[in-house]
Amino acid sequence: MLSQNNMSRAQVAVLYLILTTAIASGIAIYSSASTITALLKTATAGLFLPLLISLIVSFLLDPLVYFFEGNKINRTLSIFIVYLLIFSFVGLLLFIIGPPNWKGMAQALKADFPRYIEQAIEFLNRLLVVAQEHFPFIVHYDIAERISSASQSFLGMILKETPRSAMRIGSLLLLVPLFTFFFLRDSRRIVRSLISLTPNRYFEMVLDIYATVSWQLSHFIRGRVLEALIVGLVVWVGLSLTDIRYAPILAVVAGASNLIPYIGPIVGMIPGLVIALADLGMGGEFWWILCVYLLIAQILVDNFILIPILISKVSNLHPLWVILAIVMGGKLYGILGMIIGVPIASIINIVIIATRQHRKTFNPYQRYFTTRGKLL
Amino acid sequence: MNPFWDNIFRRSGYEQTLTYFLSTMPMFKMLNKRELTFLENIVHVRNYEADEIVFNEGDIGSGMYSIRSGQVQIYNLDDQGQETEQAILNPGDFFGEIALTASRPRCASARTTEPTVLVGLFRSDMMEAVRRHPAPSAKIMLGLNRVISDRLLQCSLELTKLKTQLNDNREQLTDA
Repeated sequence: MLSQNNMSRAQVAVLYLILTTAIASGIAIYSSASTITALLKTATAGLFLPLLISLIVSFLLDPLVYFFEGNKINRTLSIFIVYLLIFSFVGLLLFIIGPPNWKGMAQALKADFPRYIEQAIEFLNRLLVVAQEHFPFIVHYDIAERISSASQSFLGMILKETPRSAMRIGSLLLLVPLFTFFFLRDSRRIVRSLISLTPNRYFEMVLDIYATVSWQLSHFIRGRVLEALIVGLVVWVGLSLTDIRYAPILAVVAGASNLIPYIGPIVGMIPGLVIALADLGMGGEFWWILCVYLLIAQILVDNFILIPILISKVSNLHPLWVILAIVMGGKLYGILGMIIGVPIASIINIVIIATRQHRKTFNPYQRYFTTRGKLL
Repeated sequence: MNPFWDNIFRRSGYEQTLTYFLSTMPMFKMLNKRELTFLENIVHVRNYEADEIVFNEGDIGSGMYSIRSGQVQIYNLDDQGQETEQAILNPGDFFGEIALTASRPRCASARTTEPTVLVGLFRSDMMEAVRRHPAPSAKIMLGLNRVISDRLLQCSLELTKLKTQLNDNREQLTDA
């Protein structure tokens, strides 16, 4: 029964067996791989935020650690000194100001929050009426209802999540200093061993790219965080001059939202303006607060002083890319994604520029061409 | 002492280490133990197979290599693709030092001829070291400078010799 085209029975059986084994092992590998990825996902679920924060904190503390490190003091000791300084500073601050009155603050917010929302809705309604007068084709859209329901659920979420987020903050307070310590002490060693895994041919390129990326990234992160801190401080001082309540919280919101370019400062302004409108009315103080947010904090301090000093050293992305990065980051990870989208986009930008410089190294047919591109 | 015991107790330890290798290099002779350890932390040890390319002519260079073991051939390619060998380098030699201080294209290609271990010192690491630990970095750079100056001196002596030779030849030609 052996012909040239047809296989013998034994061959068919072997082929059948091999195919079955291949399919079965494929399914087994696939399913085990998906369980493994699922396991990895659950195992690393809560670690993304502490790792990210400790990375940022270690970028911030690195210059301080280098300041203390010297001939007599080694790196570990210097890290301990920096930790000691920071903890004593925070302790001193708490000692002077006193522990924050969390309960009172929460209760006041619970009482005031609906009032502020109501005022905002009223203002929006008036605006809507005016708009409908001028553009009658705008259908009557129940904006008030939507906002009030959204704000109710938001407040409920805040009140419900506070104990849980307190627990998370507790775990962060434990994990972040630990991770930061190891990042500060061993980051060089970790990165060196990672880079040494690259093949010989691309080693120089990878090393160069890493040097550029780390320089730019550290400047970017330090610049951004310092910028947010200073803007928050300026807003705090500016608001403290008025009778507005919750000035510290508003300053924190303004500083944190300042981390998101273009869109952040506008969003960060809204709660302050709403509270000012509700509590103080459309008077001189309201205009002063608007002035603090827009003219002093954003234009004067941020655009004219901070950005030229802190950020301009870092390679600038085109504003279009920045906005795209913010939108895509927001789609992926929410507000956190909006904040880290821009640095990630600039890392990609730096990597592309550096590889273009080294593209000769990338070209595998380079042996067969002259340096001017002629075929040998 | 018995050579057997000598082998166990003396040879195998310190002389196998990277620190010892670095201390034997002429440019790092002035460094003390502490500075050698510092240097050991900024160099990269790379393993190459036989006949592997280290870099090609025209690549953007980012640092120098010294040979710990093995052999490296330095060569140029002309427009026809013909190789001209410039040098064969052996353990203890170094090459590519032009790229250490500024990013210049490599002026020749380098290839290993046998399994080789290279110790690379790269610009980005050196720059960081200069910024953060100026004193040992200055000593490293001074040692390099000394060796390169020696080479330059030899080159200019060679050049003068060749020039006088050329003039002699020219005079002989005009005489003839």
